[in-house]
Amino acid sequence: MSGDGDAEDKGFEQFERFLDEWSRRDFLRNLGVGTAYLAFLAGGLEFLAACASGNTATTSNVKEGGHIVEVSTSDLKNFSSVLTNDYTSDQMISMINDGLYTIDANAQSLPLIAKDKPQVSSDNLTYTVGMRQDVKWTDGQDVTADDVVFTYQLMYDPAYKAVNSPRRGTLATYVDSVTAKDKYTVVFKLKSVFAPFQASHMNYAILPKHVLGGLSPADINSAPWNAAPTVTNGAFKFVSWDKGSQVTLAKNPKYYRGAPHLDSYVFKIGVVSTEVLNQLKTGEVDVAYPGIGTIDASQYDSAKSVDSINVYSYPRLSFDFFLFQLDPAKPASKFFGDKQVRQALYYALDRTAIAHALYFDQATVANTSMPPKSWAYNKDNQPVYNFDKAKAQSMLDAAGWTASGGGTRQKGGVPLKFEMITNAGNKIRENLLVVMQQQWKDVGVDATPKYVDFNKVLVPALTNTRQFDVLMVGFSWDVDPDQSQVWHSRNTAPGGFNGMGYKNPDLDKVLDDAVATLDQAKRKQLYFQMQQILADDVPAPILVFPNGLLSLNKRVQNWQYGTFIGQGGRRVFIKDLFVSDGK
Amino acid sequence: MLARYIVRRVLASIPTLFGVTIVSYFLIWITAGDIVPGVEINPYLRKEDVDRIRHNLGLDQPFWIQYLNWLGLPHLAAQLHLIGGTWPTGLLEGDFGRSLIDGSPVIDHILQRLPNTLELTSTAIVLGVMIAVPLGVAGALRRGTKIDNALTALSVAGVAVPSFWLALMLILLFSVQFEQWHLPWLPSGGAYSAYQGGDFLDRVLHLIMPAIVLSFGYLAVWSRFGRSSMLEVLSQDYVRTARAKGMTERRVVYLHALRNALIPLVTLVGLELPSLVSGGAVVEIVFGWPGIGRFALDRAFGHDYTAVMGIVTFAALLVIAGNLLADILYAFLDPRIRYT
Repeated sequence: MSGDGDAEDKGFEQFERFLDEWSRRDFLRNLGVGTAYLAFLAGGLEFLAACASGNTATTSNVKEGGHIVEVSTSDLKNFSSVLTNDYTSDQMISMINDGLYTIDANAQSLPLIAKDKPQVSSDNLTYTVGMRQDVKWTDGQDVTADDVVFTYQLMYDPAYKAVNSPRRGTLATYVDSVTAKDKYTVVFKLKSVFAPFQASHMNYAILPKHVLGGLSPADINSAPWNAAPTVTNGAFKFVSWDKGSQVTLAKNPKYYRGAPHLDSYVFKIGVVSTEVLNQLKTGEVDVAYPGIGTIDASQYDSAKSVDSINVYSYPRLSFDFFLFQLDPAKPASKFFGDKQVRQALYYALDRTAIAHALYFDQATVANTSMPPKSWAYNKDNQPVYNFDKAKAQSMLDAAGWTASGGGTRQKGGVPLKFEMITNAGNKIRENLLVVMQQQWKDVGVDATPKYVDFNKVLVPALTNTRQFDVLMVGFSWDVDPDQSQVWHSRNTAPGGFNGMGYKNPDLDKVLDDAVATLDQAKRKQLYFQMQQILADDVPAPILVFPNGLLSLNKRVQNWQYGTFIGQGGRRVFIKDLFVSDGK
Repeated sequence: MLARYIVRRVLASIPTLFGVTIVSYFLIWITAGDIVPGVEINPYLRKEDVDRIRHNLGLDQPFWIQYLNWLGLPHLAAQLHLIGGTWPTGLLEGDFGRSLIDGSPVIDHILQRLPNTLELTSTAIVLGVMIAVPLGVAGALRRGTKIDNALTALSVAGVAVPSFWLALMLILLFSVQFEQWHLPWLPSGGAYSAYQGGDFLDRVLHLIMPAIVLSFGYLAVWSRFGRSSMLEVLSQDYVRTARAKGMTERRVVYLHALRNALIPLVTLVGLELPSLVSGGAVVEIVFGWPGIGRFALDRAFGHDYTAVMGIVTFAALLVIAGNLLADILYAFLDPRIRYT
C-alpha cells in the first residue's frame, strides 16, 4: 500500500512541492493585480501529450477475486437510467445494468444486449435491433424486447408524462414508436432522420418490466427499485446503498458476457474533494475517476510522485467557454455585434498560459468547438486564435475602437467597457475572469468580473433572461458531434442554450443537414464546415477542454480510459477488471 | 398540576413549530430560483423537461400552495370532505414527504443518518466534559502558574482554530504520514471501512479523529467556564468554613467546591444538546461522516425542499421537546420551582 522510499526525504520533497504550488498560487494573485504579467508569459509551457485512450493492464496473469473501492465525492441520485442525467448516477448504473449498446474508445457503438449493429431502413427512419437471447435478469427471468419497449415508453410515450425523466423532451421529439417485433427484436421508428440517435440514445440501461411495469407512472418516480435495484442484468449485482456513505456491489456470476474477475466493488461516497488524494495515499480508496471523485489538477504533480498510485491525464468532452452578447436588443451587442471585435478579443487571450497557470497544464487549448479526439474534429481548421496582442490591437483599431493615450478604447464617445459573469465558488472560472480582465486591459478593453449564483442568476441569464454582456460557463458535449443545442438559432428561444442570441442561417442549415444523414463521411464534411463557420464568427469562444485525471492504485489492472469511454459508463471493461494482489 | 403544565407547554409550542417551518420554507423557496432539484443542467436538457418536471413536483405553484401541500392541509381537508380533489399527504399526518431529488422518503434519510450523527456528537460531548472538568479545576487551583497559562493558551487555541483546519492537520499526520512511516494509522474518513468494515473496533477507529476535533471546540469553552466557576466557588464562605473545620484540601476541593462549581456547567452542556443533531456539520464534511449535518448541507445546495424541511422540522421538534424536558427536570432537581 505504501512506498518504501526514505520517509524523511519524502517529507522534504513534499514540502518543496507545497512551496512550489504555493508560489504558483501567489503568482496568480499577483497576476490578478497585474504586476507579474511578464513572468506569466515566461512561464515554462511544457505540455503533456495526452493520450486519447489507454489500458492500464501491466500483467497478463489475471487474478480472480478481490475488491476495488472507488471514491465518489457526492451521492448518486438513484439507480434508474430513466430518471437520472447526472454523471455519478450514470457511472454507478453502468456497473449493474446494461443497455442495448455502449460506447467504445473510438466513440462507436458496441453491442451489449443487442446482437449486432441495428439494421437501418433505407429512409433512415427505422432501426431494427436483434437482441441476444442469453441475457437474464438477476432473478432468472429473460431480458426481452418487452423490457426495452417499456424502458423507452417511460421516456417518450405521452402516457408516462408523470415520469420525471429529463430525456422526454428529446426522445418525444424524434421517436415515433418503439415496438417489440418478437421476443428478441425491437423496432425503433423515428419521426425524422436523427443521426445522434444511435450514439446518444441507444445506450440507456434497460429496466425490468416485470418489476416496474405494474406501477402507475407517478409511482415510477419513487419505486423502491430506484434505491434498491435487486433485479438487474449487468456485470455486478446490487448489495446495498448506505445513503451518503457507500454503495456495495457483488459480482454477477451469471453475467451474459462472462462473470467479472472481481468479487465486489464498493463506491465510497461523500469524501470531500480535498481528501481524495489522502485516501488514495493511505489505500482507503483504489480509484478516483474524473467526473465522480477526481483529484484536483493542482495535485497532479504531487499525486504522480506517490509510489502506490498511477495517474492518467486525458481530455474529456467537457469544455470551458464564454458567450458574447449578440442580441441586438441588449446594450452589449453594440460591442460584440461586430465580428472583428469578437475575433480581436479572442486573439488577445493567451490561452496557452491560461492552461498552464489556471489548469496546471491539465487542459487542452481548444482550436475548434469540437473535442480534439472526436472523429468530426478538423485539426487543420483556421484560424486557431493563437495569442497575438498586436493583431488584436490592430483589429480593434480597424473596427473603430481606438484609444487615446493608453486608456480604454472608445468609439463615438462610448467606452469599450462591459461586465463578465460566471458562477461564484468555481475557483477556476473566477480566476479565468480575472486573467481575461487583465489580458483584455492590455489591449485597452475594460472588462469587470462579477460572480453570481449558479442556479439563481447564471442559468437564467444563459437560458432565459439573457441579461449579460459576457458569460463564462462550462459544459460537456455528448458522444455524437451534433452541437445544435448551443449553436442553432432555434435554441435562442427561452430555455435554449444558445444564450448568445447567435443566428446564422448558413450554420443552421449545416447543423440540420448533419443530423439528417447517417453517412459518417458526409457528416464529417458538414462538421468541418461548422467548425469553419464558428472559427470565423466566434459567437462563444471555447477556451480549453479541461483534462480528466484518473488515479488508480497500482494493484488495479485492466482499467480502460479515454475521451469517450466514460460516456457509456464502464460497461466496456468492467468485467475484465482485476486486482493484482487478488484481495 | 404537572400534567396540565405539560399540555399547556405542548400547545404553546405548536405556533413555534409553524413559525419555524413557514420561515424555513420561504427561505428555501426564495433562494431556489427556477431550478429542478436533482436534474443536471446541460445543453441537452430541454425546456419542456424542466417545465414538466417542475410541474410534476408542484414547484410551479405559488409559495403558499406549495407550503400548504407540504403541511398536507388540503389532503386533510379532503379527508374530512371539506374540499374535493386528490392531494399529497403531509406533515399534519406525520408524513415528512419524499425527497425531490431521489424520490426516497425523507424520514428514511433522516433515520439512516441519525445514528451516525448521535454516535459522533455524543462521543464528542462526553469526551469534552471528561477533559474540560479536570482542566478547569487544575487551572483554578493553580491560578496564575505556568500550567494555568498553558491551559489558557489551549482554550484560546480551541476557540480560534477552525475545526476543518484541525481536522485536515490530524488527517495529514495520523493517516497519511503514519501510513508512510509504517506506523499504525487512523482511517481518514467515513464511519467505517468501505470494504468488510463496520465491526465495533473498525467504527471506534473511524470515530477517534472526528470526535477529538469536535470535542476540541467544546473543551476550550467548558474548561474556561469550569475554571471561573471553580474560582468563584473557592472564595465562598462555606469553603472557608470547611477549611476552618480542618478538612483536607482534597476533600474541600472535590467534595464541596467541585460539586457546586459543576451546576452552571451542567446548564452549559445542556445547552449543547440540540447540537447532538446539528452540531457536527463541518466535521462531518471533512471526515466524510455520513451524518445529518452533511446531508442537510448537501440537500440545501441541491434545493431539495422536502429533505431540508424534514430536517428542519425534525430538529425543531427535538429542540422543543428538549427544552420541555429540561424545564420538567428542573422541577425535580430544585424543589423551589413549582409549575402551575
